Amino acid sequence: MSRWFQEEAKHFKVISVIDLLVDYLQKGRIRVDSSRHPELTTYHDPCNYGRNSLKAFGQGYFEEPRWIVRQCAPQFVDMFPDREGSYCCGAGGGIWATPFKEERVYHGRLKARQLKQSRARWVITSCHNCRDQIVSSLCKEYDLDLGVKYLWELVADSLVTGPAVS
Amino acid sequence: MIVIRVGELADHLGVHRNTVRNWINGGKLPARQMAGKRYLITENDFARLCREFGIDRSSLKLKYLPGSPVMSREMTCQEKDVAEIGGRSARLLPDADWGDACVTCGSCAGACPISGVDGMDPRKAIRMAVLGREEDLIASQWPWKCTLCGKCEEVCPMNVEIVAFLRRVRGLRDRKKVPGSLQKGVLMCLEKGNNLGIPREDFIALLQEMGREMRDEGYPDFEVPIDRPGANLLVTLNSKEAFAEPAAMKSWWKIFSAAGESWTLPSQCWEGVNWGLYTGDDEAMKGIVGNLVANMVRLGCRTLLLPE
Repeated sequence: MSRWFQEEAKHFKVISVIDLLVDYLQKGRIRVDSSRHPELTTYHDPCNYGRNSLKAFGQGYFEEPRWIVRQCAPQFVDMFPDREGSYCCGAGGGIWATPFKEERVYHGRLKARQLKQSRARWVITSCHNCRDQIVSSLCKEYDLDLGVKYLWELVADSLVTGPAVS
Repeated sequence: MIVIRVGELADHLGVHRNTVRNWINGGKLPARQMAGKRYLITENDFARLCREFGIDRSSLKLKYLPGSPVMSREMTCQEKDVAEIGGRSARLLPDADWGDACVTCGSCAGACPISGVDGMDPRKAIRMAVLGREEDLIASQWPWKCTLCGKCEEVCPMNVEIVAFLRRVRGLRDRKKVPGSLQKGVLMCLEKGNNLGIPREDFIALLQEMGREMRDEGYPDFEVPIDRPGANLLVTLNSKEAFAEPAAMKSWWKIFSAAGESWTLPSQCWEGVNWGLYTGDDEAMKGIVGNLVANMVRLGCRTLLLPE
Protein backbone atom coordinates (compact mmCIF):
# COMPACT_ATOMS: atom_id res chain seq x y z
CA MET A 1 0.00 0.00 0.00
CA SER A 2 2.76 2.43 0.87
CA ARG A 3 4.22 1.57 -2.53
CA TRP A 4 1.18 2.56 -4.55
CA PHE A 5 -0.63 5.12 -2.42
CA GLN A 6 2.12 7.00 -0.68
CA GLU A 7 0.23 10.24 -0.24
CA GLU A 8 -2.98 8.73 1.12
CA ALA A 9 -1.13 6.25 3.30
CA LYS A 10 0.33 9.08 5.37
CA HIS A 11 -3.08 9.69 6.90
CA PHE A 12 -3.74 6.29 8.37
CA LYS A 13 -2.02 3.12 9.48
CA VAL A 14 -2.65 -0.46 8.48
CA ILE A 15 -2.69 -3.14 11.16
CA SER A 16 -3.20 -6.85 11.36
CA VAL A 17 -5.60 -8.61 13.68
CA ILE A 18 -2.64 -9.73 15.79
CA ASP A 19 -1.44 -6.14 16.30
CA LEU A 20 -4.92 -5.16 17.43
CA LEU A 21 -5.38 -8.01 19.91
CA VAL A 22 -1.95 -7.45 21.45
CA ASP A 23 -2.76 -3.76 21.80
CA TYR A 24 -6.11 -4.43 23.50
CA LEU A 25 -4.65 -6.96 25.91
CA GLN A 26 -1.55 -4.96 26.80
CA LYS A 27 -3.47 -1.77 27.43
CA GLY A 28 -6.05 -3.65 29.44
CA ARG A 29 -8.88 -2.66 27.12
CA ILE A 30 -10.00 -6.26 27.22
CA ARG A 31 -9.39 -8.93 29.83
CA VAL A 32 -9.45 -12.65 29.35
CA ASP A 33 -10.16 -15.57 31.65
CA SER A 34 -7.49 -18.25 31.35
CA SER A 35 -9.57 -20.92 33.12
CA ARG A 36 -12.02 -21.53 30.28
CA HIS A 37 -9.53 -23.33 28.07
CA PRO A 38 -7.73 -25.77 30.37
CA GLU A 39 -6.91 -28.27 27.62
CA LEU A 40 -3.62 -28.60 25.81
CA THR A 41 -3.47 -26.05 23.01
CA THR A 42 -1.07 -25.40 20.15
CA TYR A 43 -0.64 -22.63 17.58
CA HIS A 44 -0.29 -23.06 13.83
CA ASP A 45 1.90 -20.43 12.13
CA PRO A 46 0.22 -19.31 8.89
CA CYS A 47 2.85 -18.88 6.16
CA ASN A 48 1.71 -15.36 5.37
CA TYR A 49 1.88 -14.15 8.97
CA GLY A 50 5.21 -15.82 9.68
CA ARG A 51 7.75 -16.69 7.04
CA ASN A 52 6.37 -14.62 4.19
CA SER A 53 5.69 -11.57 6.33
CA LEU A 54 9.25 -11.75 7.62
CA LYS A 55 10.50 -11.77 4.05
CA ALA A 56 8.17 -9.09 2.68
CA PHE A 57 8.00 -6.68 5.62
CA GLY A 58 10.97 -7.64 7.77
CA GLN A 59 8.66 -8.68 10.59
CA GLY A 60 7.14 -12.09 11.17
CA TYR A 61 4.39 -12.66 13.72
CA PHE A 62 5.72 -15.58 15.74
CA GLU A 63 5.80 -14.58 19.42
CA GLU A 64 2.81 -12.23 19.51
CA PRO A 65 0.13 -14.81 18.67
CA ARG A 66 1.69 -17.32 21.06
CA TRP A 67 1.56 -14.73 23.80
CA ILE A 68 -2.13 -14.13 23.07
CA VAL A 69 -2.90 -17.85 23.07
CA ARG A 70 -1.12 -18.32 26.42
CA GLN A 71 -3.22 -15.57 27.97
CA CYS A 72 -6.33 -17.60 27.15
CA ALA A 73 -5.03 -21.16 27.25
CA PRO A 74 -2.03 -21.59 29.58
CA GLN A 75 -1.54 -25.27 28.72
CA PHE A 76 0.44 -24.57 25.59
CA VAL A 77 2.64 -26.77 23.43
CA ASP A 78 4.53 -25.96 20.22
CA MET A 79 4.77 -28.21 17.20
CA PHE A 80 8.07 -29.00 15.55
CA PRO A 81 9.22 -27.48 13.28
CA ASP A 82 7.44 -24.21 13.96
CA ARG A 83 7.80 -20.45 13.46
CA GLU A 84 9.80 -19.76 10.25
CA GLY A 85 10.23 -23.48 9.69
CA SER A 86 6.55 -24.29 10.11
CA TYR A 87 4.82 -26.57 7.66
CA CYS A 88 2.13 -24.99 5.54
CA CYS A 89 -1.42 -26.25 6.17
CA GLY A 90 -1.57 -26.99 2.44
CA ALA A 91 -4.27 -24.49 1.52
CA GLY A 92 -2.31 -21.30 0.81
CA GLY A 93 -1.64 -19.47 -2.43
CA GLY A 94 -5.30 -19.33 -3.39
CA ILE A 95 -5.55 -23.08 -3.86
CA TRP A 96 -9.02 -23.10 -2.25
CA ALA A 97 -10.28 -21.35 -5.35
CA THR A 98 -8.74 -23.90 -7.73
CA PRO A 99 -9.77 -27.47 -8.56
CA PHE A 100 -6.60 -28.99 -7.04
CA LYS A 101 -8.19 -30.60 -4.01
CA GLU A 102 -6.13 -33.78 -4.07
CA GLU A 103 -2.88 -31.83 -4.03
CA ARG A 104 -4.21 -29.64 -1.22
CA VAL A 105 -4.97 -32.63 0.99
CA TYR A 106 -1.69 -34.33 0.08
CA HIS A 107 0.25 -31.20 0.97
CA GLY A 108 -1.49 -31.09 4.35
CA ARG A 109 -0.25 -34.53 5.40
CA LEU A 110 2.80 -32.96 7.09
CA LYS A 111 0.72 -30.55 9.12
CA ALA A 112 -1.67 -33.33 10.08
CA ARG A 113 1.21 -35.44 11.36
CA GLN A 114 2.55 -32.52 13.38
CA LEU A 115 -0.84 -31.84 14.88
CA LYS A 116 -1.29 -35.45 15.86
CA GLN A 117 2.17 -35.64 17.44
CA SER A 118 1.58 -32.47 19.46
CA ARG A 119 -1.26 -34.27 21.34
CA ALA A 120 -2.99 -30.91 21.57
CA ARG A 121 -6.74 -30.84 21.99
CA TRP A 122 -7.08 -27.42 20.37
CA VAL A 123 -5.20 -25.69 17.57
CA ILE A 124 -5.41 -21.93 17.22
CA THR A 125 -4.57 -20.05 14.05
CA SER A 126 -5.04 -16.59 12.61
CA CYS A 127 -5.71 -17.34 8.95
CA HIS A 128 -9.03 -18.25 7.38
CA ASN A 129 -7.50 -20.60 4.83
CA CYS A 130 -5.50 -22.49 7.44
CA ARG A 131 -8.48 -22.83 9.75
CA ASP A 132 -10.74 -24.10 6.97
CA GLN A 133 -8.12 -26.54 5.76
CA ILE A 134 -7.62 -28.02 9.23
CA VAL A 135 -11.35 -28.18 10.02
CA SER A 136 -12.73 -29.45 6.76
CA SER A 137 -9.85 -31.42 5.26
CA LEU A 138 -7.12 -32.43 7.69
CA CYS A 139 -9.41 -33.47 10.57
CA LYS A 140 -11.48 -35.63 8.22
CA GLU A 141 -8.87 -37.06 5.91
CA TYR A 142 -6.30 -37.79 8.63
CA ASP A 143 -8.67 -38.63 11.53
CA LEU A 144 -7.52 -35.84 13.81
CA ASP A 145 -9.33 -35.50 17.09
CA LEU A 146 -8.97 -31.81 17.88
CA GLY A 147 -10.86 -28.55 17.74
CA VAL A 148 -9.84 -25.49 15.71
CA LYS A 149 -10.38 -21.87 16.65
CA TYR A 150 -9.46 -18.54 15.17
CA LEU A 151 -7.20 -16.50 17.39
CA TRP A 152 -9.95 -13.89 17.82
CA GLU A 153 -12.53 -16.61 18.43
CA LEU A 154 -10.41 -17.88 21.31
CA VAL A 155 -10.10 -14.36 22.69
CA ALA A 156 -13.84 -13.67 22.31
CA ASP A 157 -14.67 -16.94 24.07
CA SER A 158 -12.35 -15.99 26.93
CA LEU A 159 -13.54 -12.40 27.39
CA VAL A 160 -14.06 -11.49 31.02
CA THR A 161 -16.21 -8.44 30.51
CA GLY A 162 -19.67 -9.92 30.50
CA PRO A 163 -22.11 -8.78 27.87
CA ALA A 164 -23.94 -6.65 30.42
CA VAL A 165 -20.84 -4.53 31.07
CA SER A 166 -20.37 -3.59 27.44
CA MET B 1 30.86 -16.21 -37.29
CA ILE B 2 30.34 -19.92 -37.23
CA VAL B 3 29.82 -22.07 -34.18
CA ILE B 4 31.71 -25.35 -34.21
CA ARG B 5 32.22 -28.29 -31.93
CA VAL B 6 35.68 -29.81 -32.01
CA GLY B 7 34.41 -33.38 -32.34
CA GLU B 8 31.97 -32.58 -35.14
CA LEU B 9 34.47 -30.54 -37.12
CA ALA B 10 37.06 -33.31 -36.79
CA ASP B 11 34.53 -35.82 -38.12
CA HIS B 12 33.73 -33.65 -41.13
CA LEU B 13 37.39 -33.14 -41.96
CA GLY B 14 38.37 -36.74 -41.33
CA VAL B 15 41.03 -35.85 -38.76
CA HIS B 16 41.39 -36.65 -35.09
CA ARG B 17 39.72 -34.22 -32.68
CA ASN B 18 43.09 -33.64 -30.99
CA THR B 19 44.35 -32.36 -34.33
CA VAL B 20 41.66 -29.70 -34.36
CA ARG B 21 42.49 -28.84 -30.77
CA ASN B 22 46.16 -28.50 -31.69
CA TRP B 23 45.29 -26.14 -34.55
CA ILE B 24 43.27 -24.01 -32.16
CA ASN B 25 45.85 -24.05 -29.37
CA GLY B 26 48.71 -23.43 -31.77
CA GLY B 27 46.96 -20.50 -33.46
CA LYS B 28 46.68 -22.20 -36.86
CA LEU B 29 42.90 -22.03 -36.54
CA PRO B 30 41.91 -18.78 -34.78
CA ALA B 31 38.94 -19.63 -32.60
CA ARG B 32 37.36 -18.38 -29.48
CA GLN B 33 35.98 -20.70 -26.84
CA MET B 34 32.31 -20.46 -25.86
CA ALA B 35 30.16 -22.10 -23.25
CA GLY B 36 29.37 -25.76 -23.83
CA LYS B 37 32.62 -26.92 -25.48
CA ARG B 38 31.87 -24.89 -28.59
CA TYR B 39 34.13 -22.54 -30.51
CA LEU B 40 33.52 -19.55 -32.72
CA ILE B 41 35.54 -19.28 -35.95
CA THR B 42 35.32 -16.82 -38.82
CA GLU B 43 33.73 -17.60 -42.14
CA ASN B 44 37.03 -17.05 -43.93
CA ASP B 45 38.86 -19.56 -41.78
CA PHE B 46 36.05 -22.03 -42.20
CA ALA B 47 36.05 -21.56 -45.98
CA ARG B 48 39.83 -22.10 -46.06
CA LEU B 49 39.51 -25.37 -44.18
CA CYS B 50 36.77 -26.55 -46.55
CA ARG B 51 38.99 -25.77 -49.57
CA GLU B 52 41.99 -27.55 -48.08
CA PHE B 53 40.01 -30.66 -47.29
CA GLY B 54 37.78 -30.56 -50.37
CA ILE B 55 34.50 -30.40 -48.47
CA ASP B 56 31.22 -29.12 -49.92
CA ARG B 57 30.12 -26.49 -47.47
CA SER B 58 26.48 -26.70 -48.47
CA SER B 59 26.34 -30.29 -47.23
CA LEU B 60 27.02 -29.17 -43.65
CA LYS B 61 24.49 -27.85 -41.20
CA LEU B 62 26.10 -24.79 -39.67
CA LYS B 63 25.14 -22.44 -36.90
CA TYR B 64 25.89 -18.83 -37.75
CA LEU B 65 26.14 -15.91 -35.41
CA PRO B 66 25.93 -12.36 -36.68
CA GLY B 67 28.93 -10.25 -35.98
CA SER B 68 32.23 -8.84 -37.10
CA PRO B 69 34.54 -11.35 -38.76
CA VAL B 70 37.47 -9.82 -36.90
CA MET B 71 38.87 -12.03 -34.18
CA SER B 72 39.67 -9.83 -31.27
CA ARG B 73 39.03 -9.12 -27.67
CA GLU B 74 35.84 -7.37 -28.74
CA MET B 75 34.41 -10.83 -28.93
CA THR B 76 33.31 -10.51 -25.32
CA CYS B 77 30.14 -8.69 -26.29
CA GLN B 78 29.42 -11.48 -28.75
CA GLU B 79 29.55 -13.95 -25.92
CA LYS B 80 26.70 -12.19 -24.19
CA ASP B 81 24.58 -12.67 -27.29
CA VAL B 82 25.44 -16.33 -27.23
CA ALA B 83 24.27 -16.60 -23.64
CA GLU B 84 20.92 -15.13 -24.62
CA ILE B 85 20.49 -17.50 -27.49
CA GLY B 86 20.79 -20.15 -24.83
CA GLY B 87 17.29 -19.00 -23.91
CA ARG B 88 17.58 -17.68 -20.39
CA SER B 89 14.22 -16.23 -19.56
CA ALA B 90 14.53 -12.47 -19.20
CA ARG B 91 10.87 -12.13 -18.26
CA LEU B 92 11.02 -14.61 -15.41
CA LEU B 93 14.54 -13.93 -14.21
CA PRO B 94 14.99 -10.21 -14.72
CA ASP B 95 17.82 -9.98 -12.27
CA ALA B 96 20.89 -12.09 -12.91
CA ASP B 97 20.99 -13.04 -9.23
CA TRP B 98 17.72 -14.91 -9.40
CA GLY B 99 18.30 -17.96 -11.45
CA ASP B 100 22.03 -17.70 -11.92
CA ALA B 101 22.60 -17.73 -8.18
CA CYS B 102 21.01 -21.17 -8.00
CA VAL B 103 23.64 -23.81 -7.37
CA THR B 104 21.14 -26.63 -8.04
CA CYS B 105 21.79 -28.05 -4.59
CA GLY B 106 18.21 -29.29 -4.28
CA SER B 107 17.55 -28.01 -0.75
CA CYS B 108 14.34 -26.41 -2.02
CA ALA B 109 13.19 -29.66 -3.57
CA GLY B 110 13.88 -31.41 -0.29
CA ALA B 111 11.90 -28.88 1.73
CA CYS B 112 8.96 -28.52 -0.65
CA PRO B 113 5.91 -30.46 0.59
CA ILE B 114 4.70 -31.08 -2.96
CA SER B 115 7.99 -32.10 -4.56
CA GLY B 116 7.21 -34.86 -6.99
CA VAL B 117 3.66 -33.76 -7.73
CA ASP B 118 3.47 -33.68 -11.55
CA GLY B 119 7.15 -34.66 -11.51
CA MET B 120 8.04 -31.12 -10.48
CA ASP B 121 9.81 -29.31 -7.66
CA PRO B 122 11.12 -25.76 -7.09
CA ARG B 123 14.59 -26.55 -8.42
CA LYS B 124 13.18 -27.86 -11.68
CA ALA B 125 11.05 -24.75 -12.02
CA ILE B 126 14.11 -22.53 -11.68
CA ARG B 127 16.08 -24.66 -14.13
CA MET B 128 13.25 -24.50 -16.65
CA ALA B 129 13.40 -20.71 -16.58
CA VAL B 130 17.19 -20.62 -16.80
CA LEU B 131 17.23 -23.06 -19.69
CA GLY B 132 14.58 -21.29 -21.71
CA ARG B 133 11.61 -23.56 -21.13
CA GLU B 134 9.61 -20.59 -20.04
CA GLU B 135 6.46 -21.39 -22.01
CA ASP B 136 6.33 -24.95 -20.65
CA LEU B 137 6.62 -23.61 -17.15
CA ILE B 138 3.88 -21.03 -17.64
CA ALA B 139 1.61 -23.71 -19.11
CA SER B 140 2.31 -26.08 -16.21
CA GLN B 141 -0.32 -26.39 -13.47
CA TRP B 142 2.36 -26.99 -10.88
CA PRO B 143 3.01 -23.34 -9.93
CA TRP B 144 -0.70 -23.16 -9.08
CA LYS B 145 -0.62 -26.29 -6.95
CA CYS B 146 2.18 -24.72 -4.95
CA THR B 147 0.78 -22.81 -1.98
CA LEU B 148 3.58 -20.20 -2.05
CA CYS B 149 4.36 -21.35 1.49
CA GLY B 150 8.01 -20.36 1.23
CA LYS B 151 9.61 -23.49 2.73
CA CYS B 152 11.89 -23.65 -0.33
CA GLU B 153 13.06 -20.08 0.09
CA GLU B 154 13.64 -20.59 3.81
CA VAL B 155 16.24 -23.28 3.15
CA CYS B 156 17.82 -21.82 -0.02
CA PRO B 157 21.51 -21.16 0.72
CA MET B 158 21.73 -18.69 -2.18
CA ASN B 159 18.64 -16.65 -1.27
CA VAL B 160 16.98 -17.20 -4.61
CA GLU B 161 13.58 -15.54 -4.40
CA ILE B 162 11.59 -18.59 -5.34
CA VAL B 163 8.18 -17.46 -4.10
CA ALA B 164 8.29 -14.17 -6.00
CA PHE B 165 9.56 -16.10 -9.01
CA LEU B 166 6.65 -18.57 -8.94
CA ARG B 167 4.21 -15.72 -8.49
CA ARG B 168 5.68 -14.11 -11.61
CA VAL B 169 5.22 -17.38 -13.49
CA ARG B 170 1.55 -17.28 -12.51
CA GLY B 171 1.28 -13.67 -13.61
CA LEU B 172 2.53 -14.47 -17.12
CA ARG B 173 -0.23 -16.95 -17.83
CA ASP B 174 -3.08 -15.85 -20.10
CA ARG B 175 -5.77 -14.54 -17.73
CA LYS B 176 -8.34 -16.80 -19.39
CA LYS B 177 -6.32 -19.81 -18.27
CA VAL B 178 -6.00 -18.93 -14.59
CA PRO B 179 -7.26 -22.05 -12.78
CA GLY B 180 -10.49 -22.18 -10.81
CA SER B 181 -12.36 -19.09 -9.76
CA LEU B 182 -9.33 -16.95 -8.88
CA GLN B 183 -9.51 -14.66 -11.88
CA LYS B 184 -13.28 -14.41 -11.58
CA GLY B 185 -12.83 -13.35 -7.97
CA VAL B 186 -10.27 -10.71 -8.91
CA LEU B 187 -12.56 -9.21 -11.55
CA MET B 188 -15.53 -9.45 -9.21
CA CYS B 189 -13.62 -7.66 -6.48
CA LEU B 190 -12.62 -4.85 -8.83
CA GLU B 191 -16.20 -4.51 -10.11
CA LYS B 192 -18.38 -5.26 -7.08
CA GLY B 193 -15.99 -4.71 -4.17
CA ASN B 194 -15.71 -8.28 -2.94
CA ASN B 195 -14.40 -11.56 -4.33
CA LEU B 196 -17.76 -13.32 -4.32
CA GLY B 197 -19.82 -10.48 -5.75
CA ILE B 198 -22.17 -10.18 -2.77
CA PRO B 199 -24.51 -7.23 -3.50
CA ARG B 200 -24.54 -4.27 -1.13
CA GLU B 201 -28.21 -4.73 -0.12
CA ASP B 202 -27.72 -8.39 0.78
CA PHE B 203 -24.63 -7.53 2.76
CA ILE B 204 -26.40 -4.84 4.79
CA ALA B 205 -29.37 -7.15 5.44
CA LEU B 206 -26.98 -9.84 6.65
CA LEU B 207 -25.19 -7.44 9.00
CA GLN B 208 -28.50 -6.29 10.45
CA GLU B 209 -29.58 -9.88 11.01
CA MET B 210 -26.29 -10.59 12.79
CA GLY B 211 -26.78 -7.42 14.82
CA ARG B 212 -30.14 -8.78 16.02
CA GLU B 213 -28.44 -12.00 17.07
CA MET B 214 -25.86 -10.00 19.04
CA ARG B 215 -28.67 -8.21 20.91
CA ASP B 216 -30.26 -11.58 21.70
CA GLU B 217 -26.93 -12.83 23.03
CA GLY B 218 -26.70 -10.20 25.72
CA TYR B 219 -25.42 -7.10 23.94
CA PRO B 220 -28.70 -5.12 24.14
CA ASP B 221 -27.41 -1.86 22.65
CA PHE B 222 -25.48 -3.40 19.81
CA GLU B 223 -25.82 -1.92 16.32
CA VAL B 224 -23.50 -2.78 13.43
CA PRO B 225 -21.80 0.53 12.61
CA ILE B 226 -22.09 0.59 8.82
CA ASP B 227 -20.30 3.43 7.00
CA ARG B 228 -19.81 5.46 10.15
CA PRO B 229 -17.69 8.54 9.34
CA GLY B 230 -14.87 9.42 11.69
CA ALA B 231 -14.62 5.97 13.27
CA ASN B 232 -11.12 5.08 14.41
CA LEU B 233 -11.00 1.57 12.97
CA LEU B 234 -12.16 0.50 9.51
CA VAL B 235 -12.77 -3.23 9.49
CA THR B 236 -12.42 -5.41 6.41
CA LEU B 237 -13.61 -8.98 5.94
CA ASN B 238 -12.78 -12.18 4.18
CA SER B 239 -15.79 -12.53 1.85
CA LYS B 240 -16.05 -16.13 3.02
CA GLU B 241 -17.20 -14.79 6.38
CA ALA B 242 -20.13 -12.97 4.87
CA PHE B 243 -20.94 -15.83 2.54
CA ALA B 244 -20.47 -19.00 4.56
CA GLU B 245 -20.08 -18.29 8.24
CA PRO B 246 -21.42 -14.85 9.18
CA ALA B 247 -21.71 -15.91 12.82
CA ALA B 248 -17.92 -15.93 13.03
CA MET B 249 -17.92 -12.14 12.61
CA LYS B 250 -19.55 -11.87 16.02
CA SER B 251 -16.32 -12.88 17.75
CA TRP B 252 -14.80 -9.65 16.59
CA TRP B 253 -17.87 -7.61 17.40
CA LYS B 254 -17.79 -8.88 20.99
CA ILE B 255 -14.13 -7.94 21.30
CA PHE B 256 -14.79 -4.47 19.87
CA SER B 257 -17.68 -4.00 22.30
CA ALA B 258 -15.56 -5.08 25.25
CA ALA B 259 -12.72 -2.80 24.23
CA GLY B 260 -15.05 0.13 23.62
CA GLU B 261 -13.59 0.53 20.15
CA SER B 262 -14.86 3.11 17.69
CA TRP B 263 -15.16 1.03 14.52
CA THR B 264 -17.06 0.74 11.28
CA LEU B 265 -17.70 -1.65 8.41
CA PRO B 266 -17.95 -0.13 4.94
CA SER B 267 -21.05 -1.16 2.99
CA GLN B 268 -18.99 -1.51 -0.17
CA CYS B 269 -15.47 -2.66 -0.97
CA TRP B 270 -15.05 -4.35 2.38
CA GLU B 271 -13.03 -7.24 0.97
CA GLY B 272 -9.73 -7.53 2.75
CA VAL B 273 -8.42 -10.54 0.85
CA ASN B 274 -6.55 -9.65 -2.31
CA TRP B 275 -6.50 -12.47 -4.82
CA GLY B 276 -4.24 -10.45 -7.08
CA LEU B 277 -1.51 -11.73 -4.78
CA TYR B 278 -2.31 -15.27 -5.89
CA THR B 279 -2.78 -14.66 -9.58
CA GLY B 280 0.47 -12.69 -9.81
CA ASP B 281 -1.42 -9.64 -11.02
CA ASP B 282 0.05 -6.44 -9.59
CA GLU B 283 -2.29 -4.17 -11.53
CA ALA B 284 -5.40 -5.85 -10.12
CA MET B 285 -3.86 -5.90 -6.68
CA LYS B 286 -3.28 -2.20 -6.88
CA GLY B 287 -6.88 -1.60 -7.97
CA ILE B 288 -8.25 -3.56 -5.02
CA VAL B 289 -5.97 -1.79 -2.55
CA GLY B 290 -7.11 1.48 -4.14
CA ASN B 291 -10.73 0.68 -3.24
CA LEU B 292 -9.76 0.19 0.40
CA VAL B 293 -7.80 3.44 0.40
CA ALA B 294 -10.85 5.22 -1.07
CA ASN B 295 -12.95 3.87 1.81
CA MET B 296 -10.45 5.13 4.36
CA VAL B 297 -10.47 8.57 2.78
CA ARG B 298 -14.26 8.65 2.36
CA LEU B 299 -14.95 7.73 6.00
CA GLY B 300 -11.94 9.51 7.49
CA CYS B 301 -10.77 6.49 9.49
CA ARG B 302 -7.37 6.38 11.13
CA THR B 303 -6.67 2.65 11.20
CA LEU B 304 -7.30 -0.06 8.63
CA LEU B 305 -7.77 -3.57 9.99
CA LEU B 306 -7.01 -6.45 7.65
CA PRO B 307 -9.07 -9.58 8.19
CA GLU B 308 -6.33 -12.10 8.79
